[in-house]
Amino acid sequence: MAGKVVTVDRNTKPGIAPILLGHWITLKNLLSTLFGRGLATVSFPEQKRKTSGRYRGIHILTQRDDGSPKCVACYMCATVCPAECIHIEAGERPEATIEKYPTRFEIDLLRCVYCGFCVDACPEEAILMSRENDLVGTSREELIIGRDQLMDRGKLAEYGQGYHPDAHDVRRPVRIAALERLKSEHGIVPGPPPRRD
Amino acid sequence: MPKCTINGKEIEVAPGTTVIQAAAQLGVEVPHFCYHPDLPIDGNCRMCLVEIEKMPRLQIACNTTVAEGMVVHTGSEKAVQAHRTTLEFLLVNHPIDCPVCDQAGECYLQDNYMGHGLHESRIELEEKVHKRKIVDLGPIMLDAERCVLCSRCLRFEANVTGTNSFEFVRRGDRTEIATFENRPIEHNYSGNLADVCPVGALLSHDFRFKTRVWFLESTDSVCAGCSTGCNARIDQRDGIIQRLVPRRNVEVNKSWLCDIGRMSYKDVELTSRVSGARVKGASSGDGVSMETALDSVAVKLKEAGKAAAFMASPQATNEDLFAFKTLAENSGGTLDFRVGNPQDRLQVREDSVLLRADRNPNTQGALDLGMGKDGVDAIVKACESGAIKVLVLQGPELLRSAEATNAIRKVPFVVVMATHESPELEAAHVVLPTTMWAEVDGTFTNFQRRVQRIRRAVPAPGEARPRWEIAGDLLRRLGAPMAGTSAREIFLALAAATTDYKGLDYRAIGHTGRVLGGKPEAATASAPASA
Repeated sequence: MAGKVVTVDRNTKPGIAPILLGHWITLKNLLSTLFGRGLATVSFPEQKRKTSGRYRGIHILTQRDDGSPKCVACYMCATVCPAECIHIEAGERPEATIEKYPTRFEIDLLRCVYCGFCVDACPEEAILMSRENDLVGTSREELIIGRDQLMDRGKLAEYGQGYHPDAHDVRRPVRIAALERLKSEHGIVPGPPPRRD
Repeated sequence: MPKCTINGKEIEVAPGTTVIQAAAQLGVEVPHFCYHPDLPIDGNCRMCLVEIEKMPRLQIACNTTVAEGMVVHTGSEKAVQAHRTTLEFLLVNHPIDCPVCDQAGECYLQDNYMGHGLHESRIELEEKVHKRKIVDLGPIMLDAERCVLCSRCLRFEANVTGTNSFEFVRRGDRTEIATFENRPIEHNYSGNLADVCPVGALLSHDFRFKTRVWFLESTDSVCAGCSTGCNARIDQRDGIIQRLVPRRNVEVNKSWLCDIGRMSYKDVELTSRVSGARVKGASSGDGVSMETALDSVAVKLKEAGKAAAFMASPQATNEDLFAFKTLAENSGGTLDFRVGNPQDRLQVREDSVLLRADRNPNTQGALDLGMGKDGVDAIVKACESGAIKVLVLQGPELLRSAEATNAIRKVPFVVVMATHESPELEAAHVVLPTTMWAEVDGTFTNFQRRVQRIRRAVPAPGEARPRWEIAGDLLRRLGAPMAGTSAREIFLALAAATTDYKGLDYRAIGHTGRVLGGKPEAATASAPASA
């Protein structure tokens, strides 16, 4: 595609009108920020920016009613993680219904790219994201957070829940695409055939 | 030789070949659960149904012998529909707990239902028949809910070990496998039960919850636990071996591996590995760099000349032994090798399946290279009389034998290549760190005289070097460098110098090894006569 050639005559004098126009724009913005609602900045950290319900902030590990982690240490999140920031060690818990649970679950928040794939991959809805986004630490070690910190995070109430699967089922389009591929390439229609009563 | 056509491809097979085997030869995989190439055919899972022209009904591929002119379709609409139906029956009471099941990723059931897209079950989880889970059978964990009742474990117990531990109990959809009174599996082949189980019903206790299988990187190798030389696969993650599993070789170990061999990977990861060289009386404590240690050994070897003795180890690879032999010939000293490890008080000496009493993987290799002529006793006597000035040991076995320790104490300079720290290393003046079987490339020759490849799967600790490299470094310092600088090149030199190995190279050995011509020489008295 050929670009359009614009010829500008730089010898013409612009006159006073464009200058006044520029001043007007500046003045308008000044007035709107002083008296109106057009303020673009917030006084962080006293004030927080509003984020959407799908905001991908620091992770949450959800709990069962008895306070144990919902996570079954299936390593799906660690498998899908493009930053390889999730480290899990599994242990045995013979008394529970599901015998496998994470003895260690660490996320390196400095390596994490906050893509939310771990949330999509989790079969148990055990990992969600919060809207917490002010990540501060004085050392790298401090920002590798463990299982108990992920389960019990004080700031959660303040920020609220972020990206989680039921609010926005991102897996659905992927699943539908996979099913369509199965049908077109292999002629397989998944799911049980309809019952004939 | 009957000829048949499978999915449009023609193949001629040996008489008695079944359809599933013929398909496998063509690279066509027929889905199956109960069929196992090294177990008798049972034909109970009904998964391998295929359509055969002119036969009114679908036939099971595992138990149908190929006949002349047979035309088989494994992927026809009728066959696939049968697979789906069978699969759905198998999944009726399956708990679908793949997230916590160690089999996930190498599970036949999972692969098949993903392939057929059977993601939804017609039975609610609450309506399913529940069976026993987390039953601890010693080295094996049983989860009866995951079982597809293929009877592979029953047939393994009946035909391979002859122990018959498992039996089906109850009837109908409540059928499950069980051992009598939940008694643990006690034979030496329990690990194979987890391997033969196509689903997650029998799982290894050792591998339980360690990692997911898709993180593992595999290397084909050979078990170094005894002179059988079972073909094995080393599965490692981040340089740490997670498990050792058998690799099929019909001539050696079929699809099996004994528990003693299976657990031998743990020695590789022990924290007591020797990682740096030590020289007694060195100015900087005992620890020195590898180069300094080798320099001091080379100086002593030059001084000693014919008064040096060399003791090879049957734990070493053929390459190690050849380099060591070259070193011994160069200095003109005496050479022999030590069979057996006298400190091993073997509880299980050998059985009729795989395990052999000679727990050294390469005794035959040492014999093939012409070692075992000067005589261990002669060398020990020479040490005793003070004729030996330098003694180089390829492994610490001799230091452990009570009758040799006194003699060795009289030798002014003892060099030992060691893998693990142990008290008897005190007797050595120089300790050189060396590698174990999972950390080197090389070859072992098993008791059948089959030369088999081992491959490097994990890095060696610290400064540890392969034994052939240590011998090569010493030879360079003595002014007669080896021809090769890699295991492959040294094997070529070995093949050129040894009659039976003529014409062999790593490519010719391949994945399942090569049997040498001629009869195996009888090992010394400590080795068993037969398997």
